[in-house]
Amino acid sequence: MRDRRRGIFKRGLPVLALGVALLAALAPVYWMITISLKTEVDEFASPPKWFVFTPTLQHYYDAFVTRSFGQYLLTSAIVALVSTACALVIGTLAAYALTRFHLPYNLGRKLSLWILSTRMFPAIVTAVPLFLMMRDLRLLNTKAALIVVYTAFNLPFVVWMMRGFFAEVPRDLEEAALVDGDSRLGALVRVVLPLVTPGLAATAVFCLIVCWNEFLFALVLTQTDAAMTLPVGIAGRVTQYEIKWGVMSAAGAVAMMPILVFALAMQRYLVRGLSLGAVKG
Amino acid sequence: MPIRFQNVTKKFGDLSVVEDLSLEIDDGEFVVLLGPSGCGKTTTLRMLAGLESVTSGDIYINDELVNDVPTQQRDLAMVFQSYALYPHMSIAENIAYPLRVRKLDHNERDKRVRRVAAMLEIEPLLDRKPRQLSGGERQRVALARAIVREPRAYLMDEPLSNLDARLRVQMRGELKRLQHQLGTTTIYVTHDQAEAMTLASRVAVMKKGRLQQFDTPLNIYNHPANRFVAEFVGSPSMNFIDGKIERGMFVSEEIRLAVDRPDGNVSMGIRPEHIHVFTQPQDGTIPAKVYVTELMGNETFVFLSIGAQKLIARAAADFRAEEESTVWLRIETDKAHFFPKRQSTDYTE
Amino acid sequence: MPRSRRFFSAPTRRELLLPYLLVAPALAVLLALSIYPLFYSITISLQQETAAGVVWTLGHFKRLATDGFFQTAMVHTFIYAAAALILEFVLGLALALLLNQQIRGRGLFRASLLVPMMLPPVVVGVVWRLMLNPNFGAINGTLKQFGVNTEGLTWTASPRLALLAVIAVDVWQWTPFVFLVLLAGLQAIPQEPYEAALIDGSTRWQTFRHVTLPLLKPAILIVLLLRTMDLLRVFDQIFILTEGGPGFATETISLYIYRTAFRFSDFGYAAAMSFVLLALTNLISAAYIRLLRTEQ
Repeated sequence: MRDRRRGIFKRGLPVLALGVALLAALAPVYWMITISLKTEVDEFASPPKWFVFTPTLQHYYDAFVTRSFGQYLLTSAIVALVSTACALVIGTLAAYALTRFHLPYNLGRKLSLWILSTRMFPAIVTAVPLFLMMRDLRLLNTKAALIVVYTAFNLPFVVWMMRGFFAEVPRDLEEAALVDGDSRLGALVRVVLPLVTPGLAATAVFCLIVCWNEFLFALVLTQTDAAMTLPVGIAGRVTQYEIKWGVMSAAGAVAMMPILVFALAMQRYLVRGLSLGAVKG
Repeated sequence: MPIRFQNVTKKFGDLSVVEDLSLEIDDGEFVVLLGPSGCGKTTTLRMLAGLESVTSGDIYINDELVNDVPTQQRDLAMVFQSYALYPHMSIAENIAYPLRVRKLDHNERDKRVRRVAAMLEIEPLLDRKPRQLSGGERQRVALARAIVREPRAYLMDEPLSNLDARLRVQMRGELKRLQHQLGTTTIYVTHDQAEAMTLASRVAVMKKGRLQQFDTPLNIYNHPANRFVAEFVGSPSMNFIDGKIERGMFVSEEIRLAVDRPDGNVSMGIRPEHIHVFTQPQDGTIPAKVYVTELMGNETFVFLSIGAQKLIARAAADFRAEEESTVWLRIETDKAHFFPKRQSTDYTE
Repeated sequence: MPRSRRFFSAPTRRELLLPYLLVAPALAVLLALSIYPLFYSITISLQQETAAGVVWTLGHFKRLATDGFFQTAMVHTFIYAAAALILEFVLGLALALLLNQQIRGRGLFRASLLVPMMLPPVVVGVVWRLMLNPNFGAINGTLKQFGVNTEGLTWTASPRLALLAVIAVDVWQWTPFVFLVLLAGLQAIPQEPYEAALIDGSTRWQTFRHVTLPLLKPAILIVLLLRTMDLLRVFDQIFILTEGGPGFATETISLYIYRTAFRFSDFGYAAAMSFVLLALTNLISAAYIRLLRTEQ
């Protein structure tokens, strides 16, 4: 008798907790999406309309066609893609060198630790001097400045992740390639890289997500439409006097879509990447 | 292609892994580097391949000094213990890789791959991936990849050790035939003395980085240079009895044997097949107690003890004796080897 | 074999150069954009413009001692970090423990939980400004339906409630992260210790204390370390939610540094403060790492 009660309790509680957690996680996001699709009248309705309302795409049109959010979207995409590509190339080469070659004075280990520590800086610490540097170089409000900064931002992460993936490739394979007559770099390209492709993909996705979401550096380095990214565009409007919530929500909804798609695709590596490899998820 | 090691030494920090190795290998020979783990045989092979640098000494391939020649230019083929097949490529692509790297054209590549695959009977596997193959099949692919290049020499690092016993014996035979067919110089590393004896034209026995003896298998078996080689080669191992020779008599505890050797403290080595066991006393036999017998089917191993001395003898397949029973041994003292009675013996010329 | 087989050790002279060549671009980028800015920052933090030109001085650092805003910002930061950390950890651990079993649709559930922590912080800000809006936000709207008087519940506009609100938002966003990492840690624990404990007759609480917790320590420390680092330097979502307001009720240290640099253009002082923040985060992370290392 006792067992049966315990059983239901044991199974029931997790399911309940699950339900509550899911609700708490998704409801606010759902709310924002509804705002983006509601007419102004419905937006301010009281009691709040969760499910029953007439949808409209007016806000999306407003945001992306009438206003400049379309441009911000494009800027975000360009900056994210280019800086991710740069970080991947530079970082992967460095990671390969650190994994496979023996540098004197234990330089390899010191370098890796140092690279990791740059990830620990509070962003504001480098944001202030970078602003001044870019100002002196007349690179404020340019996409180039953002690309360069984001590349530096992502580099430690790429090196860290790719080191782990390279370490899993057995040395024998590269030695066989060398004996077969290939050069070091040839062996890297033909034998090693194909084997770490999933790792490369996962790392690339992480970097893209980071660039896309990034706010502080974009805020500090771009104030004009020329190079403004989506997050900054949204923030700019929110802090002004007259807030158009519909437009804001539409922009927010679009801003979060790519991230959700990518994150779902890369679930498998998520915990490993977020915990810097300390926990294998 | 002849290969020569001249006073080659390899150190890792202060640790000497190979010490003063000198070896001359003729064109077309099948040389086996034999020794226990840690004796430096794999390191020697890797130095030849260019995967390890040489601390001091010189290595010559075809009379050309290769110390500073990078691996990819040495034109040697290597079969790794783990086979090192490229997991993301098909078998055909694996075999073709060395040709692709040398920028051979597509048709020529195809032709050679097929020819080698036919030679090793792996044609049906050409489109599969390494993970779909069994151990024996992978081993043959690794061989194919080595052969397809027609290199100056083959280097093999314990290629058979990952195979089960039966496959190992089978592949041994195939390897030997293959090498005879191709006639290319081969350097083969193993810790298995049976492999060395059956495959090699000459064996280089190594211990702790030093060469102990370099000779044909038969000579190594019948005339071992020192106690280590004597003990290492031959299965079951040679028996050793410590004792003293005085006026033509070898004396050790309860054993007295007439020998034609000068006086001194010695270790007498006698192979199991040179100890003959009889259930009844005969002329010139000495008694011994049976510890246990192992029936191998084609012969019987008899484990014996004389006092505290333990011995192994080979007897006929139908030999039977009870444990703790007494039997009589005739030891062929003219086939015995005598070594100085010392703890360890190093290679001395 | 008495050596490490990790690295190639047969380089020709030309190949000796290769690793350095491969690492050089990464080093160059990091030196230029991560290290040099630090030196730049140190320099301006130690300089002040006077009538006589630019002088070297500790003036900025001395100012910290008497700057009320700075001290308030530190207090806010610590309260924020501590509260959020405790809540996220407790909730995350509870969820992980509860859900450390086979449940159908686990993949889908995990994917859905990822949503809050994957959102751009800006979007998180927008989402919650909408939810917390006193007039038409979902929170107050739903509360009103339950008959609660929401007159004084102005959330982000209320000096009393604003800090609470931003903490709640952080908990909403990051509890899933704690949950995921701890769950992964739990699932990495093998079955044997549990079975041994069962045979030894230990109660559920004892098993938890003596088997689960110790084996979970590395995951716990990592997640606490990462969250603490992130919480101490928080900026994005607070900026959107309240911009540090109302007044300065939710101004954390990063926000104050931002205000000093970009509203008052007082870069030297901002630099000095950011070094204090950097020193602080380094100290704390070093402590965590020391703890982590003693575990291993």
